[in-house]
Amino acid sequence: MAVLTQARVQHSTAFRLRKLRGQVLFWFVLSLFIIFACFPVYWMFLTTFKQVNDLYNLQNNPLLFQLAPTLDQVQYLFERTNFSTWVLNTGEVGLAVVVITVVICVPAAYVLARSQFPGSGSLGMGIFLTYLVPPTLLFLPLSQLVVGFGLVNDKWSLALVYPTFTIPFCTWLLMGFFKNVPREITEAARVDGCSRLGAMFRIVLPLSVPGILTICIFAFTLAMQEYVYALTFVSSSDQKMITLGVVTDLIRGDVFFWGSLMAGALIVSIPVAIVYNLFMDTFVRGITGGALK
Amino acid sequence: MAEVARTRSVGFRATGGWIGHFLDSEKVFGYVLVAPAVAYIVLLVGYPFAIALWFTVSNATVAHPIANFTGLTNLVAVLDDGIFRRALINTFIFTLTSQALQMVLGTILAFLLLRKFRGRRIARALIMIPFTIPIAIGAMAWTWMLNPTYSVINWVLVHAGLLTQGPNWLGEEYPAMFSIILVNVWRNLPFTAIVLTAGISAVPQEIIEAASLDGASWLVRWRKVMVPIIAPILYIALLFSLVFTFTDMTVVWLMTRGNPVDATHVIASYAFQTGVVAGSLGRGATMSLFLFPVMLVGAIVILRNLKARTLD
Repeated sequence: MAVLTQARVQHSTAFRLRKLRGQVLFWFVLSLFIIFACFPVYWMFLTTFKQVNDLYNLQNNPLLFQLAPTLDQVQYLFERTNFSTWVLNTGEVGLAVVVITVVICVPAAYVLARSQFPGSGSLGMGIFLTYLVPPTLLFLPLSQLVVGFGLVNDKWSLALVYPTFTIPFCTWLLMGFFKNVPREITEAARVDGCSRLGAMFRIVLPLSVPGILTICIFAFTLAMQEYVYALTFVSSSDQKMITLGVVTDLIRGDVFFWGSLMAGALIVSIPVAIVYNLFMDTFVRGITGGALK
Repeated sequence: MAEVARTRSVGFRATGGWIGHFLDSEKVFGYVLVAPAVAYIVLLVGYPFAIALWFTVSNATVAHPIANFTGLTNLVAVLDDGIFRRALINTFIFTLTSQALQMVLGTILAFLLLRKFRGRRIARALIMIPFTIPIAIGAMAWTWMLNPTYSVINWVLVHAGLLTQGPNWLGEEYPAMFSIILVNVWRNLPFTAIVLTAGISAVPQEIIEAASLDGASWLVRWRKVMVPIIAPILYIALLFSLVFTFTDMTVVWLMTRGNPVDATHVIASYAFQTGVVAGSLGRGATMSLFLFPVMLVGAIVILRNLKARTLD
């Protein structure tokens, strides 16, 4: 009996030790991943608020503030660059993209999710696959199309082009929302004499407002962070959107204005990061076309 | 059939103006509502794609977009270009290495995030950060971290005693290639991990328990039980990840611009250099379309494997 108890005690100690070792290993590996993920953001933050003498002094420990933090770099960004213009451009173009996307996506997603007609399945699939067409395949012909529209070096060329990726993405996402509205509700309305269009506007759309707002947010942020088309179509500083402006205009010749550049980077990143963190699961569902339930 | 009959009769009874009446045929309603989306995509994706195809067999330049048919001249010239061949190899190295690293690290990360622990939500949000900030911004932050003079990474490595002098990350051939891959993995790892997490947590617990009762080891449980179940999700995540990595130019363009001495170009960045910066539309389009057949075959294979059950 005594032997047995002793064995059990030994066993449980070994077990506990193993568990502890597992815990330590777990937190260690997780911390490595977190540091890898977050360090660049910490670095942006440091660079933004450091004084120039601190930033470019090789004797200092770069991981900490050696001199008092400063807002000089942020001030430079707002006062000596076109930053406020870029914010404004982003707002205008982003809004146009959102409007175009919603107007086109809502009806398409509605019928693809709720009606059956010859070819509806392959149309849905086709629209989904368009999202896979990468910008680097199309930037050359699109640049010629932009010339044709008379939109050379004009921010509105981006409002024309960005829906090519927001439409497929948002349509697919919205289909998921529309599928969740029970069929019985619309059927009942139809029996009561409501037309198809009426059922859509009066019944399904009001119930899908959260879904529509979600795609508005995605359309805006997808447009806001795009880089390749922006780089191709727009070259004047006053026509740039925020992401392109920050990563191109704060480099003059060989001189990088790192402080202000990182300040701009931080200002762009924070809202986008918050939105995507809140809507991460929806975003992934949109990308994977509902393969994730 | 019965359902069709019922819809018809309902349609008949429906009131509304003539538009409402016209749209009451399910078919007409469907086509009319989906038409704008299709039109937009045809006009701004399909049509440009056709122009791109024409560019590949013509001598179009930005200065002279109206061009003559030149057959396979562009293809021959592109294949003859040493930088392009280097870019082609780089593209494969870049894509395959990034993908392999993401899959291995992503699986580890997914299992970490699946455990129940205090602060899990915060940990998850922090892990997601690289994926949530614009890639152009992330690439610039890394460029600054890898700066030849002020590299904070070198500072850490030197002060940790791992190196006496850090490399010029973006100025030397191999370190530059390594940096580009690193940034790409940094960016896409959260996506891979979150897809895997969602997939794994959808696997019924009983199946895993049954397998482990039958004496299956961890590796066997993973390969023979879980992977087959989450395969559809893996496939679609892989498809997106592959296509976007294969055709990405943002990281390369911002970090090295193909340098040193054109050693780090990928096809997309070199196509941009040739087509947009140098203005040679024909050559540039030939380059950017060069891998399209590979991608198409890859996409078809992956989508076939997906089968109907995932995309209902």
